[in-house]
Amino acid sequence: MIEWAILVGVAAATLRVAAPLILASLGETVVEKAGLLNLGLQGAMLVGAFSGFMGAFFTGSLWLGLVCCVIGGTITTLLYGVLVINLNLDQVVSGLAINLLAGGLTLYFTRALFTGGVAPYLQELFGPMQIPLLGSIPILGEIIFSHTGFVYFGLICVPLISILLTKTTFGLRLRSIGEDPVIASYLGIDVVKMRYVALFIEGILAGIAGGLLTISMFNTFDTRIVAARGFVAVSIVILGRWNPLGVLAGSLLFGFTEVLSLRIGILFPEISSASTNQLFALLPYLVALIALIVGGRRVRGPASLGKRVGRE
Amino acid sequence: MSDRYVVSRGTKRSIIKALLSVLLTFAVTSVILLMSNVNPVLAFIYMFQGAFGDINLLSETLVRTSPIMVVSLGLAVSFKCKVWNIGAEGQLYIGAMLGTIVAIGIGGGLLSLLCALFVGAMGGLCWAAVPALMKVKLGINEVITTFLMNFVGIYLVQWMISYPFRSPDTYFPESAAVPASSALMIILPGTRLHLGVALALALVPIIYFLMERTTFGYKVNVVGENPEVARYGGIKVGKIVFASLIFSGVLAGLAGITEVMGIQYRVRGSLSPGYGYTGIVVALLGNNNPLGVALSSIFLAAIMNGSSTLAWAMNIPMGIVDLMQGLLFIFVLASEPFIRFLEGRGVLRL
Repeated sequence: MIEWAILVGVAAATLRVAAPLILASLGETVVEKAGLLNLGLQGAMLVGAFSGFMGAFFTGSLWLGLVCCVIGGTITTLLYGVLVINLNLDQVVSGLAINLLAGGLTLYFTRALFTGGVAPYLQELFGPMQIPLLGSIPILGEIIFSHTGFVYFGLICVPLISILLTKTTFGLRLRSIGEDPVIASYLGIDVVKMRYVALFIEGILAGIAGGLLTISMFNTFDTRIVAARGFVAVSIVILGRWNPLGVLAGSLLFGFTEVLSLRIGILFPEISSASTNQLFALLPYLVALIALIVGGRRVRGPASLGKRVGRE
Repeated sequence: MSDRYVVSRGTKRSIIKALLSVLLTFAVTSVILLMSNVNPVLAFIYMFQGAFGDINLLSETLVRTSPIMVVSLGLAVSFKCKVWNIGAEGQLYIGAMLGTIVAIGIGGGLLSLLCALFVGAMGGLCWAAVPALMKVKLGINEVITTFLMNFVGIYLVQWMISYPFRSPDTYFPESAAVPASSALMIILPGTRLHLGVALALALVPIIYFLMERTTFGYKVNVVGENPEVARYGGIKVGKIVFASLIFSGVLAGLAGITEVMGIQYRVRGSLSPGYGYTGIVVALLGNNNPLGVALSSIFLAAIMNGSSTLAWAMNIPMGIVDLMQGLLFIFVLASEPFIRFLEGRGVLRL
């Protein structure tokens, strides 16, 4: 039998590694509700991770690092906005372009700025925040209330984004754009402005999602640090049916598989060996694909999602 | 007559787009180099020398061109169909791995080589078939699935070369070497220029023929232009989408195994420095036209090889390749509306 302490540890770790996924996929939900399929999310997270690290490293302040990752994330999503909104370019290709540009810029500057081309380590990180009372509840306190501010922020964003999308005029307008931008503009909605606002929100969330990797989870930057999290987040939006609660559930599922792949040795010592441990690195991506096969078949998102308006 | 006019106008337009994007890429890269106190003109001269300076460097650039060209010719076919395969990197690794296993299993000789190439191509096909099926049968966006398949594929290959197929006589995780007698022969003595480079070049007219002179190519074009029209015209859109995606997988797998049989002789973690992603930029820069793709492949290969001279001579990091690639991608995209803008102002008439 697996011990309790290990299970509690797994549950807590699941929430911890799910945090960037929760933030990124909530951001993607907002823009997809406005009819934009932003596959540049991966790039926005990467720039967030990079700028967060750079900010924290060169100013010596984690809080300024946090500010920088938000700025980096929003610049990236707004650049995507220029491509698809102002220049009316294909959404998919624009997203890919953003990803490649983000990869190129962050790689070049990491190599150029640091001796040996490797980013150094940060002296300190955003650590767990002790929550009085709630944190001392046995088991539950350890699982939910033993985390960094980023985890709480992610959890709070779930109801906030849900309210924003379903209970406010802004959300209603946003969703009407997602269904049909042309009709929405006939109704007097400023489609361009609304889409930029949505991208701005996504930029903040994706920037933090990336930044927390460098200034809270790991303590350095590497261009592979985001792994496929951006694309996993896009999958989560589909699996969660563009619903913040569904997105939370999806993020937890992927957080859990990530923890499973990392701790397979502790959880299942019978099958563990250096070989299987390495093989299990592919588990999160395999699960993402299987989840898409099971839960992603012909789901209907916002009607105008990914479509270009007007002439090409 | 009018048909010819449209074609030549489109070609002229895509050439101007490509040249403009290359120019802008060099311009922005220059600014970035100036920021690091490097003379950009000198840097680009070093880059050019590093790529084409002498017969050895030139042949190395051609060797580098081969996998890029094979990958991007395949991607051009799927992009024509508006199917965005970004999983060529994983397809390449799987093709290389399976082909290598077969080459070693059969032993030396021509049969071993041919079987390896075939199995390598089939490996790429299978790896692309999963996202292709998911797209056609379940309607799941291929960009997401092909990218995720990269991670599954590359981790799988990493594991295979670390454990079941690890070379017993080397320290690093890598596969055993393929038999020397099954390797692609060197076509220019004294260099590493191998038969695979010639095969890559031979693919250019083949893909051109496929796209311009066969029903398959015609259908791919129609589906890419407008799937509704294609469906109305009796084309089975799903089939064409599926075929174009697995076709790009075949070429990606072939690129991987050619790289092994041509110069690397084993599968290593460093087999591809991102050819699958470079191929995306190359296909777009070449406007998905086989000849354009061929020229763009040489260009990107030159930047790659030139950058190592640059790194050595001026201490500029190799990441410059990725930087220029990203810039190229953005500029190729943005040049279309830019040219249209100039046309609207009457500045440019195409």
